Amino acid sequence: MKWLALIFKNLRRSPRRSILTVLSVTVSLFIFCALASVPVVANQILADSASSLRIACHNKAGLAYGLPQAYKRAIAGTSHVVAVVPESWFGGVYHEVKDQFPNLAVDPEQIDVMWPDWGMSKEAVEQFKELRTACLVGPATMKRFNWHVGQQIMLRGTIYNFNLALNIVGMLGGKAPPSFLFFRRDYLEEAAGEPGFVDNYWVRVDQTSSVPKVIATLDERFANSSAETLSESEASFIGGFLENYRLFFQLAEVLGFIVVVTIGLVAANTAAMSIRERRAEIAVMRAIGFPSSAILSVIVAESVSMALVGGVFGCGAAYLTFKLFSVGTDAIGPLSNIHVSSAIVGETMLLAALLGTLSALIPAYAAARHNIVDALRLVA
Amino acid sequence: MADGYAVELEHVTRIYKRDEFEIRALDDVTVKVPEGHFVGIMGPSGSGKTTMLNLIAGIDHPTSGRVAVGGEEITGMKEAQLAGWRARHIGLIFQFYNLIPVLTAFENVELPLLLTALRKAERRSHVQAALNAVGLADRTNHYPRQLSGGQEQRVAIARAIVTDPTIVLADEPTGDLDAQSAEDILTLLTELNRRFNKTIVMVTHDARAERYVETIFRLDKGVLVGVESGRTPGLAAATHD
Repeated sequence: MKWLALIFKNLRRSPRRSILTVLSVTVSLFIFCALASVPVVANQILADSASSLRIACHNKAGLAYGLPQAYKRAIAGTSHVVAVVPESWFGGVYHEVKDQFPNLAVDPEQIDVMWPDWGMSKEAVEQFKELRTACLVGPATMKRFNWHVGQQIMLRGTIYNFNLALNIVGMLGGKAPPSFLFFRRDYLEEAAGEPGFVDNYWVRVDQTSSVPKVIATLDERFANSSAETLSESEASFIGGFLENYRLFFQLAEVLGFIVVVTIGLVAANTAAMSIRERRAEIAVMRAIGFPSSAILSVIVAESVSMALVGGVFGCGAAYLTFKLFSVGTDAIGPLSNIHVSSAIVGETMLLAALLGTLSALIPAYAAARHNIVDALRLVA
Repeated sequence: MADGYAVELEHVTRIYKRDEFEIRALDDVTVKVPEGHFVGIMGPSGSGKTTMLNLIAGIDHPTSGRVAVGGEEITGMKEAQLAGWRARHIGLIFQFYNLIPVLTAFENVELPLLLTALRKAERRSHVQAALNAVGLADRTNHYPRQLSGGQEQRVAIARAIVTDPTIVLADEPTGDLDAQSAEDILTLLTELNRRFNKTIVMVTHDARAERYVETIFRLDKGVLVGVESGRTPGLAAATHD
C-alpha cells in the first residue's frame, strides 16, 4: 500500500456517498460541458469563415426583404467578382412540422465556384446543373431521414403555399453545413409564378483584399434604388445570424456556472461532513507521525479524484448526448454541428480539479490543523 | 542517549484554559524513565495521566518545564518537526485501538512505514515481523471489524512497534478489554519490553498492571504523589525529584 492505495481505500469508506458525490459532480459538469460547447461551435464557425472570399449581399432593410433577381448581372459585372449565386429560403418541411432543416434555392451555374471548400463531387454538381428538380443534401439530413441518392422527396411549403418534388442527385460534401439542402431556384421561381426576387446573393471575389472594395462598390451601386443593399463578409453575415443566439449563449454560460457553483457547495458540504466524521482518525494519523501537509494532500486528493471521475463521466455524457441527438438539432442550422471540443474537455477537467480542491480544502485544512489532543478525545 | 534516560520531564506544568477557567492538569512534575524500562502511570480520573503521556508523545506542549525523549528535547520543536520526530521515535497505543476501519490489519500496521523511505518488500517484511511479534500473522487480511477487541489491540501494538521506535506509549491499552484479553495484552507488552528492550510508558487504571510494570508513577490532581516498584519489589529504577 502506498499513497494512491490509501486514497482509493478512503474513497471506498462510504461507497454510497462517494458514488452520489461523483454523480452530482457528473451532472453539473455534464451541464457545464454541454452548455459551454454551444458558444464554442459558434465561435468556430466564425473563425472558419474569417478568411472567406465570399460576400453576402442582402436588402439593407433586412433579410426578410428580397432583392430583384436583375441585380445578378450587375453584381457579376463588378470588378474582382468571380461568381454570383442568388439564394432564396424555401422553409419547407419533410412530412411533419418537426422535420425542419434549412432548404434553400440557388442558381446552379456557379455553386462549385462559390463553395469549392465544401467538397461537392463533380458528378453531383453536374447532375444538379442538368436536372431542374435536382437537389443536393447535407450528410446529416441524409442520415436523419434515411435518404439516398436517386430518391425523390416531397418538401411541404410553409412560407409558400405549394409543395416541391425534388430528386436527390448527390450530397453537399463533408465541409458543407451538414443539415442544408440546396435545390434549383429556377424550379422555385416557376412554382411561385416568377416573382423575380431573391433573398440574398452570395458573391465570390478573387482575393481577400478585394472583399472590402467589392462590398463598397456593390452598396454604392444600389444606393438610392428601391432595394438598397447591405453587403458584408461571410464572417460578418454569419456573425449577425448568430447574434440572434447571443442571449441563449450568455444564458447557457451563466446557467453552467450557476450549476457548477451549486454543486460545488453541495460537494463542499459533503466533504466537510466526511472529514468531520474522520477527525479522530486524522488525529491518530497525525499522532503517529503524519505531517499536516500529508493529511491535507490525501484528503484533497480524494476529493479531486472524485471530481475528476465526475468530470470524465460528465464530458463523456455530453459527448454521447451530442453524438446521439445531433440528428434532432438540424432545425438550428449552423449550430447543428455542436460537439464537445478537446478545449472544452480540458476546461471541464480543469474545473473538476478546481471543484474537488476548493470543496475539500477548507475542511481538510481545518482537520489537518486541529488540535490532536482535542480530536483524540472524540474517540473516548 | 544522554544519561541513559528514555524520558525526562523536568518541572513540567500544563495548564489548560477552558473559557474563563484554568485547569492545572500537571503541576511541576519531574520524572525520569530509564531506557528499556516498563513503567506505569496510575491515578484517578483527572489526575493528569493522559496529559503526561501526551506531553511525552509530543502531541501536547507544556505550559512550562522541559520534556526530553531519547535525549532529545522536544519542548521547543515546531509542529512539522514534531510530526517527523514522532514518526521516528514514538509508538502509540490507544485505549480504543484507533485502527483505520478501511484498512486491513496488514495495512494498518504498514501505515507508519509510509512515512519512511522503505521499499515495498522491506515494508512487507517489517509488517510481517511486527504481526508475528503480536501473534497475529494469520490475520493480515482481516479488517478491524473482523477482529476481536484483543486482536485489534494487538494490531495497534504491531502498528506501534513496526517502526522500531525509541519508546512505546500506551494510553489505557486494557481499558476496553475483558479480563483475559487485558492479561494477554499486558503479557505481550511485558514480552516486548523484555525481548526487545523497548521502553514502555503505560497509562492505566488497571490494578493488574502493577504486576507487570517495573515502576509506577502515581499522580493525583496533576501532582506526582508517589513512585512505587511494580513487578520487582524494592527496585524503583525510575526516579523523581
